[in-house]
Amino acid sequence: MPAIRTTGLTKRYGAIRALDGLDLEVQDGEVFGFLGPNGAGKSTAIRLILGFLHPTAGSGQVFGHDIVTASVAIRQRIGYLPGGIAFYDTLTGLEHLDFLARLNRRLPTRRAELCDRLELPARTLSRVVRDYSRGMRQKLGIVQALQHDPELAVLDEPSEGLDPLMQRAFYAILEQLKREGRTVFFSSHVLSEVERVCDRVAIIRGGRLAAVEEIARLRTRRWRNVTVQFDGGGAPPLDNVAGVSDVEVRGNRMTCRVSGDIGPFLAALTQLRVVDLTIEVPRLEEAFLDFYDDRAMT
Amino acid sequence: MNAALFRHTWRLQRIKLALISLGLFAWGCFPPVIYARFGVQFETMLQSGIFPEQFARFGNGDIFSLTGAVALSLIHPIALILTSVFAVGFSAGAIAGERQRGTLEVVLARPIERRVLYFSLLGSAFLFLGIAIAALLAGCAIGSAFAGVLAQLPVARLPLVWLNAMLLFGAFAAIGLAASASFDRFSPALGSTLAIVVVMYLLEVLGSLWPDAAFLQKYSLFHYLKVKTTLAGAATPVDFAILAAAVAGAVGWAVLIFPKRDLSAPI
Repeated sequence: MPAIRTTGLTKRYGAIRALDGLDLEVQDGEVFGFLGPNGAGKSTAIRLILGFLHPTAGSGQVFGHDIVTASVAIRQRIGYLPGGIAFYDTLTGLEHLDFLARLNRRLPTRRAELCDRLELPARTLSRVVRDYSRGMRQKLGIVQALQHDPELAVLDEPSEGLDPLMQRAFYAILEQLKREGRTVFFSSHVLSEVERVCDRVAIIRGGRLAAVEEIARLRTRRWRNVTVQFDGGGAPPLDNVAGVSDVEVRGNRMTCRVSGDIGPFLAALTQLRVVDLTIEVPRLEEAFLDFYDDRAMT
Repeated sequence: MNAALFRHTWRLQRIKLALISLGLFAWGCFPPVIYARFGVQFETMLQSGIFPEQFARFGNGDIFSLTGAVALSLIHPIALILTSVFAVGFSAGAIAGERQRGTLEVVLARPIERRVLYFSLLGSAFLFLGIAIAALLAGCAIGSAFAGVLAQLPVARLPLVWLNAMLLFGAFAAIGLAASASFDRFSPALGSTLAIVVVMYLLEVLGSLWPDAAFLQKYSLFHYLKVKTTLAGAATPVDFAILAAAVAGAVGWAVLIFPKRDLSAPI
């Protein structure tokens, strides 16, 4: 049974279609990335899954429970981190965690471990939340979402506001959840984050699901924009190098697109005296859509 | 009712509740003392015809009798403002305010039915109002004792007065919560509840001061707060039933509307 399944899930506000016929399946034990620009319908989809919104059409199930009629049973098994999470300013971090754990009616079995990994010591937790920085609030948000060891974690922009060290700690938590067979459904704008932790990724645009793909498959098809600055000599002979396309040379500066294995391209560059080299990885959305455009043409 | 939610609400409101209750207690002490000290003089002035009788009978209260003074303590703007902290402010913000701040979605991401959340908040509002009104009536009793007129106060009927006042302010709390469940933001929820309370208050006061406008009083819930009648042992169940119906109507609306509402992302 999939952890999440939606069929033609639609949400309309008058003439506006916030979500249009979303068909999605997230497998149990999978880490699933959900990408899209602001207003694409990501939050609408998440809020429909959590029962905050009622679908205009279509249906959805989480662990086999209907999102409309069995929302409470669903939320019993979910841990949710909203984007830009809000807290009660006058309560301490610990009071929040205790209060939310009591509402979950599940023991906060993971709390100590999460607080340890995210560097939220007891001294910090005993302070009122209004004194917390954005990063500390986000860490508290992650702990409240996962402290009761939910079967499904729904995380909206979870690494927002975390410093690189804490992001790494957060990824380690996700990897551990994955090893333990927990399902994670999260939205993000950060390519490296999605690549690092997700099994599959979906992209949503204008309320519609544009594509769903395995990360491993995307990686093999991904291209990079390369700029090479070289010293002297003519244009390098790159036309026959595997994976290289769109070569443009202007003076001592060359740009091209390299897809797949970058090795042959780097080998070809040894013929040049390279002064500078820039390799830009496309945003996942670009790579993703490019991949799908290609596939549509073939 | 959800015990965890109830405790949480209590924790957030307890200091405010203590201050309001203290304020109402202090205020409740005054009218009996004023009655004991100046009641006769005021009545003499009134009987001399210097000013119309209506001007000395604010709402259903007056200062020519102890029961009138107790009634005045409940209908006076000071009491209204203090009880409105919970009857209007707390109730109007309980759902819409939390929704606007974003804390509602953190709570509702837990396995809690919206109706359970609603009844937990309604129960909290009633508890806070119950304590606040009890503090005011306790102030009246203490003030009466201090002024040496406690014997004139039918203390055994105070619980019925408490119930009458609870139903009135409970109705406003229920209306506030219904508004809170109906709006996405705090200001319209607060504004609509406040408008209802103020209009009803004006209808009652206007009707009590101006005989030609007396017919307006029956449209005000304040008119069914019958403190003097209740203390005189002549309370009619209809007054209580009308207030209870107002509570039931507002609760029914909220219970119907809140689970069906879409809770889109906080603004």
